[in-house]
Amino acid sequence: MAALSESIGIDRIRQYLPVATLVVLVIAVGVAQPAFLEPSTLLQLAADTAVLFILATGVTFVIMLGGIDLSLQSMASLSSVVVALTIARLGYGSFVLAVAIGAVAGLLAGLAHVRFRIPSFIATLAMGGVLFSAALVISHEQSITLGEAERAYQVWITGSVAGVPNVVLVGLVVLIVAHLLQSRTPFGRYSAAIGAGEPAAYASGVKVDRQKVIAYVLSASFAALAGVILAGRLSSGSPTLAAELLLPSIAAVVVGGTAITGGVGSIWRTLVGALIISVVRIGMTFLGVNIFAQNIVFGAVLIIAVAITIDRSKIPIVK
Amino acid sequence: MSAPSVPALSLVDVDKRFPGVHALKNVSIEIMPGEVVGLIGENGAGKSTLMKILSGVYQPDGGEIRLAGKPTRFISAADANRQGIGMVFQEQSLLTNLSVGENVYLGNEAQFRRFGLVDWGALYAAAARQLEKVEVDVDPRTHTSELDFATRQMVELAKALTLEENAGGHLVILLDEPTSVLERAEIEILFARVRALKTRASFIFVSHRLDEVLELSDRIYVMKDGAVVADLPAAEANITQLHQLMVGRSLQAAYYRESLQKPYGDEVVIEAEGLTLGHAYRDISFKLHAGEILGIAGVLGSGREEVTRTLAGFAPHDGGSLRIGGRECRLRTPAEAVDNGVGYIPRERRVEGLVLFLSVAANITLANLRSLTRHWLIDGREEQRIATTWVERLKVKTPSINALCLNLSGGNQQKVVLAKWLNAKARVLILDHPTRGLDVGAKEEVYELVRSVTAEGVAVILTSDTLEETIGLSHTVLVMRDGAITHRTAALPGHKPTQVALIEHMV
Repeated sequence: MAALSESIGIDRIRQYLPVATLVVLVIAVGVAQPAFLEPSTLLQLAADTAVLFILATGVTFVIMLGGIDLSLQSMASLSSVVVALTIARLGYGSFVLAVAIGAVAGLLAGLAHVRFRIPSFIATLAMGGVLFSAALVISHEQSITLGEAERAYQVWITGSVAGVPNVVLVGLVVLIVAHLLQSRTPFGRYSAAIGAGEPAAYASGVKVDRQKVIAYVLSASFAALAGVILAGRLSSGSPTLAAELLLPSIAAVVVGGTAITGGVGSIWRTLVGALIISVVRIGMTFLGVNIFAQNIVFGAVLIIAVAITIDRSKIPIVK
Repeated sequence: MSAPSVPALSLVDVDKRFPGVHALKNVSIEIMPGEVVGLIGENGAGKSTLMKILSGVYQPDGGEIRLAGKPTRFISAADANRQGIGMVFQEQSLLTNLSVGENVYLGNEAQFRRFGLVDWGALYAAAARQLEKVEVDVDPRTHTSELDFATRQMVELAKALTLEENAGGHLVILLDEPTSVLERAEIEILFARVRALKTRASFIFVSHRLDEVLELSDRIYVMKDGAVVADLPAAEANITQLHQLMVGRSLQAAYYRESLQKPYGDEVVIEAEGLTLGHAYRDISFKLHAGEILGIAGVLGSGREEVTRTLAGFAPHDGGSLRIGGRECRLRTPAEAVDNGVGYIPRERRVEGLVLFLSVAANITLANLRSLTRHWLIDGREEQRIATTWVERLKVKTPSINALCLNLSGGNQQKVVLAKWLNAKARVLILDHPTRGLDVGAKEEVYELVRSVTAEGVAVILTSDTLEETIGLSHTVLVMRDGAITHRTAALPGHKPTQVALIEHMV
């Protein structure tokens, strides 16, 4: 009984650790650089976090049911290229097209995963390669800069309402929709059940394969949306636009406290995780860490976060 | 036997508890050098726990293990090995992708190491010597997957015998249901080897086949409810007597709530005709009526487990017909079974029954979440209300409906599984060893609930750990052997068939 209550205590601590970390980091950066705590800087922080948050939200759906999506950065890059190439002709339709391509790519990766019983990391790694090459080919290996007329379609990303950047509002909409999906719909419940105990979910009549495919469709669609927003913020599309975002995205999910083994997690946690990653990034910029060296830190953060969030005594074998 | 010698291995007052279960109650047994000791008991009697203590997997909470008279401890399986305890398990432990020789010395290759590399020539030569001990004529370089089950079992025995060289002393080899995958002729060979090896080792033989235990053992221990209830020479024992010792008491009508057994209705819920699945079972026909409990009896390998898996949607039949509620169907997934009103209460409660890391409420509503969904969203308040209702009705003891199922006792977990299917309005429940691992009080509660749901018209298919439970609960009993039905009988209150009458159709 003592061991039981003790483990509950540790679970409590684990639960609040991410929020506590975020608060400590914000205070630390604020003390070192008081300007950081001004509303305008904080709004800028939120705007800079939006793309990472949307990517991380998508992959949260997949991680919740015990899988992984390694194609998200290629998906986001391809999406930016699709927008850059078609926005002049299709206008707002280019955004729809980019997200639709994401949905189809997720559907294919998901079907490959459940139909051929291929591990998700292989199915999405392969899909990532396909998407990256597709982006290279259709962009002729070049970055495509958007003109004035084309940027007019992107005001919903680049503009602001009453001083709040639109991209923050888009992030809020994503937060609400994804949170409802994850915590209030049968899909979200089934995902948690599959991640925590797939055999029991299956025996209870849950259509496991269908839920998995939905999760991969969501993950790729959110990645495509992230690419659309990135294209707006950088006024360009490029096959390598999101190239450094896979590691921080997965780190954000796990740092937020969602278990990499599935079953336990939420979109709120992913939000907290994405903010932690952003604050760390800004902190490193203050400290003068080379921007290209930042993934060294995120790699280390990912390992540590997984080590802390998983109770390995319950998982005898890790592959 | 000459003058009383020191037992090769003895357990003195060994005690072991798990949360909610007193698995071993002051168990004392001893094995003399060169003796074959049979160990029998029903599922849950404590045999497996005892074997796990002897093989170092579990540590006893109290009591003492003595090896050749000297107190010792087995802190791990490897440690037990080093001290001369060998194991041959029912689920074979050989790795089929390795050669026979590699398997024999798996984990003990160090002795053949030369300059950091394994001297394979020496290893195979040594393996060949081990195989000679059990008189198996197989090249140790053969891939294990090419061997039949009987030969693999011999290789396991050879592997256990490698301990002779390492442990030095007298070996004690645990044989845990070693015959369950073997044919009769193969069993003869295994027994002959064991007898021939009695000069080298003692054996503890666990089996559910009483005739084999009588045939091979010198002495037999009978366990029941975590305690040794009898210790008798095999020469003086017979099957009926052993069975009575295992069961312990005569059938108690009250225990199974026979007074609550109501006659079932006329409505046929499931009709199977000539149902067949590969080599698992064939030509199974029965009618299951609303409110009826149909028990299926049979030993391991009789095909009864596969029949229940088919009805639960895990193993679709490939011949004959299955009608549920008058509609012809073939259940390819559990989801299709659920759609047809069939709920499955599995023996692996913690794996297939419940999502342990979800709340009680989420588990109760899992099979019927659609009915709670309005405009795409789960109605949280309605979910809480429904879960509270079931928790109260089935008297589930839980700190809250939002507590994780992980923290509930076995009996209460089983009630949550039952609540899930009642909430999904299942018309048929498949009870696959529903009381496995439960203590007596929890079992009685499950019996009471089963009686009350059948009184409301739910039909039940039951496979049980014990014949006693099958007979006590069922309206009708089918007996299966080798994949076919060999006997069917009504089991009305006051006119229940005897266990002996069923056993003759089982073996």
